[in-house]
Amino acid sequence: MQHLKHKIATLVLFASTALITVLSCKRDIDGLAPATFPTTPEVFIDGFSAGLNYAAFGGSKVTAFDVDAEVKYKGTASMKFAVPDAGDPQGAYAGGGYLTTVGRDLSGYDALTFWAKASKAATIDVVGFGNDFGESKYQVTLRGVKVNSNWQKFIIPIPDPSKLKQERGMFFYSEGPENELGYTFWIDDLKFEKLGTIAHPKPAILDGQDQVFSVETDQKLNIGGLKVAFNLPTGIDQSVEATPAYFSFSSSNPAVASVSDAGVVSVVDAGKAVITAKVGELNALGSMTLNSSGKAVGPETPAPTPTIKADSVISLFSNAYNNVTVDTWNTGWQFSTAQTIDVKIAGNDAKRYRSLNFVGIEFSSKTINASAMTNFHLDIWTPDPTDLPKTFKVQLVDFGANGTFGGGDDSSHEIAVTRPTLVSKEWVSINIPLSRFTGLNRRGNLAQLVLSGDLPNVYLDNVYFYIAPKEVPVGPTVAAPPPTRSAANVTSIFSDAYNNAAGTDFNPNWGQATKVTQLPIAGNNTLRYENLNYQGTQFGSNLNVSSMTHLHLDFWSKNSSNLNVFIISPGPVEKAVALTVPTNGWGSVDIPLSDFSPVALNDLIQFKFEGNGDIYLDNIYFYKNPPAATEPTTAAPTPTYAAANVISVFSDAYTNVAGSDLNPNWGQATQVSEVKVAGNNTLVYSGLNYQGLQLGSDQNVSGMTQLHLDFWTANSTELKVSLISPGPAEKAYTLKVPTSGWTSIDIPLKEFTPTVDLNKVFQFKFEGNGKIYFDNILFHK
Amino acid sequence: MKWNHSTLINSFLLVVMLCTFWSCQDDDVIVDRNYELVWEDNFAGLAGKAPDATKWAYDIGIGPGNDGWGNQELQFYTNRPENAALDGNGNLAITARSESYSGRAFTSARLNTKGIFAQAYGRFEARIKMPWGPGIWPAFWMLGANIDQVPWPQCGEIDIMEYRGQEPNLIHGSVHGPGYSGGAAITKSYGFTNDRFDVDFHVFAVEWGKDFIDYYVDDVLYQRLKPEDTPGEWVYNQPFFIILNVAVGGNFVGFPTPQTPFPQTMLVDYIKVYKEVN
Repeated sequence: MQHLKHKIATLVLFASTALITVLSCKRDIDGLAPATFPTTPEVFIDGFSAGLNYAAFGGSKVTAFDVDAEVKYKGTASMKFAVPDAGDPQGAYAGGGYLTTVGRDLSGYDALTFWAKASKAATIDVVGFGNDFGESKYQVTLRGVKVNSNWQKFIIPIPDPSKLKQERGMFFYSEGPENELGYTFWIDDLKFEKLGTIAHPKPAILDGQDQVFSVETDQKLNIGGLKVAFNLPTGIDQSVEATPAYFSFSSSNPAVASVSDAGVVSVVDAGKAVITAKVGELNALGSMTLNSSGKAVGPETPAPTPTIKADSVISLFSNAYNNVTVDTWNTGWQFSTAQTIDVKIAGNDAKRYRSLNFVGIEFSSKTINASAMTNFHLDIWTPDPTDLPKTFKVQLVDFGANGTFGGGDDSSHEIAVTRPTLVSKEWVSINIPLSRFTGLNRRGNLAQLVLSGDLPNVYLDNVYFYIAPKEVPVGPTVAAPPPTRSAANVTSIFSDAYNNAAGTDFNPNWGQATKVTQLPIAGNNTLRYENLNYQGTQFGSNLNVSSMTHLHLDFWSKNSSNLNVFIISPGPVEKAVALTVPTNGWGSVDIPLSDFSPVALNDLIQFKFEGNGDIYLDNIYFYKNPPAATEPTTAAPTPTYAAANVISVFSDAYTNVAGSDLNPNWGQATQVSEVKVAGNNTLVYSGLNYQGLQLGSDQNVSGMTQLHLDFWTANSTELKVSLISPGPAEKAYTLKVPTSGWTSIDIPLKEFTPTVDLNKVFQFKFEGNGKIYFDNILFHK
Repeated sequence: MKWNHSTLINSFLLVVMLCTFWSCQDDDVIVDRNYELVWEDNFAGLAGKAPDATKWAYDIGIGPGNDGWGNQELQFYTNRPENAALDGNGNLAITARSESYSGRAFTSARLNTKGIFAQAYGRFEARIKMPWGPGIWPAFWMLGANIDQVPWPQCGEIDIMEYRGQEPNLIHGSVHGPGYSGGAAITKSYGFTNDRFDVDFHVFAVEWGKDFIDYYVDDVLYQRLKPEDTPGEWVYNQPFFIILNVAVGGNFVGFPTPQTPFPQTMLVDYIKVYKEVN
């Protein structure tokens, strides 16, 4: 028995040392003795141990726990837990904790143990200790405790007993119905023990995995998966969850990432850091490697504010609209590495995605009916390169008629966006007609938006469906009216109808924002100014338009509210003339050049337009009105009727009725003469009041159908011609004067019947005023 | 070297599993014996090296009867360093692994001194730290050197230490002989109430002489066997050779479970064999 003796001797020695220590403390430093706490191991043997209280968890059935004197493992009583059925109005589960009013020193023990059985085979969700209904700093949790109808012993190891100098949380549990059914389990002999038969502690962080994270400055990460596995006396490992206070964390590079006692990692700069942990002297399995890219790169200005009217929009995310309910902006689907961060950019809300490979955005709890919408819009900003073949993909998912995932009626379609739409470090507005989502069978129950592609960093704003405003024609569909002025009177700058002044620069760089193009409209070359602020035109050489009288312009604009045209001479001397905009179709204007005074018309160098909107221009030319002609310079058109069908009175083209008197004296004031016009014999009445013409013989023109006349007058304002048969019977026909050049007319003879007897026409009479030239007076059929 | 031995029996530490013949009278006192070292291996050497080939041979495979060495053991024994090697800290590491190998799901190693070293009587001891986990079965044991002429169990078997990984606080000492082999072996168990054999090294030994075998853990004698304790012939008055192995599964230990941690290593600090001197 020497061994036994030795052990007893040792114990005695320890005891005397302790006694001496206590005595000397009391004597030397009165009042500063460290507080000692009871080391009571028992929690519940046959009743509550000293100072123990019970409290039920919130939402649990408060009557679930009771002391049972009928069923027990040993002694006189056990703890009975009646787990409620699902839907029990008194509480959905059984759960609570046992804590002491004064903390206990448990550092001499290595486990909390108990015996348990149940009314049926079941798995208790959670048991543990260290829950003090407060900070619960040293909580240890054992999950999934399999119990059955036999008493079995269970062990909850203490990860580091040296921590438990003043623990109040003796035990806690939580268990819900199994398959919606309640049952009863019992626990007995609940106590802390120094077993000595639990071994090989294996602490772990991140569930023992070596994980790598791409992070950036100011990011915070929680180190989860804190566990300690022990080998039980049965040779198998059992893992418990432990709070961070059992662990000591350290960073390989605190200048990049620091870690708090609570296991919260704070990234402070770019670089690499590895976070590891220990429990006591044991290194924990698992590590957190942080690759920090430093400060995030993001937009400095918000996305452009949407301009679509709110009643044409279903918005998921925008400060400009009321947004519908979106369940989540990151579904956390498997294999998705995306992280979502709410950010503000100059006060404007945006969503930021990091490490984006793909991300689900879900609004399935209230699906979106976008049947009436025509387009999908989102604004994105990325710091990442957008060279081809980099893509950003937008997928819409509709849950079909049943409105829920699956069921065979779901459909989706994905659109890839690339350069040139994608641009790095600028807001990019993406507008996709919904008709392009051809795989989307319907859009009455849109439930998911999936973003993916090659841009790991994306800021997102203004996500909405909308009805595109009705398309307004962007330009004229018909050409400007073709000019009719004689080229001889025109100095043209821009027109298909004339030879234009050579060397004109239609887009000199004067720093303008205006975009200038020339395009054919209905085959006619047209000048277009888009987004006009101002725009110059530089002539190829100085123009002298002092002989011109007007500037002509044809212009067209739907959206301009202000438009001025300038002509400029050196100095510069310039003068604006306002044009009326917007136009209704093509507007044509003829501006007297005097309106541009004091511009030197003999030395023009430039045009300028100022204003706004999109402007179409054509037929820009200077012109003068031709001098007023007082006599025809060309002969009347030569008639082409066959002579057999003609009875001619006055024409070089036919044999005329013989013996006619072109100037009978009827008392008129008219002066009658014959002149050669371009070699062609022409009858001239000057100072007409009236004038007769006496045929050489009565003419039967009843076989003819028309009276033909060619006449020319610059100054007559009234002219009538009458046929006369004996009686006299006469009837007048009004001619349109003055003429523009020669007028040829064929008057149906029935205009003169029945008053005039066509069998015997013997006189003509002209009445009116002015000077009139006649030729080719003849009847024909 | 002399081994001076003066241990009393710590009867209060005994866990009595089988027969309780131990409550005898004059056997309580152990006489001192003087021993002289005659054979040893301290397993010095670089990590990964094979143990000394002049001292150890390997049993390879699944046993001559293809029956898991007569016990339905599950491992395939190899002579690879993955299964048996020096650990660089002065220990032999015999490691059982969960790996598919030659049609078996586990590998391990079994070393012996057959044909190299055998001795009748003396003190046979090893300092060992156990592996753990259900279905893990390490052993330090001996077989009669005449086994090729006199088949087991007639040749005799002395199990200095056997251990079940699911009972890490217990070890077992046994003899197998004619009429009392396998499940009918003569066995006694020794255990800790608040410690385990897989957290520290312990010394396992027999002190063996004519017509007796004493079983020790550390300094504690927990079993003494004499011819009258065996129901059959006492076959232990002849030379035996030494075996070290880690089996996986088998009749004695049961199957490993999905919760058995692998790999599992038995560390042997040394083996020493003494003969008694006067």
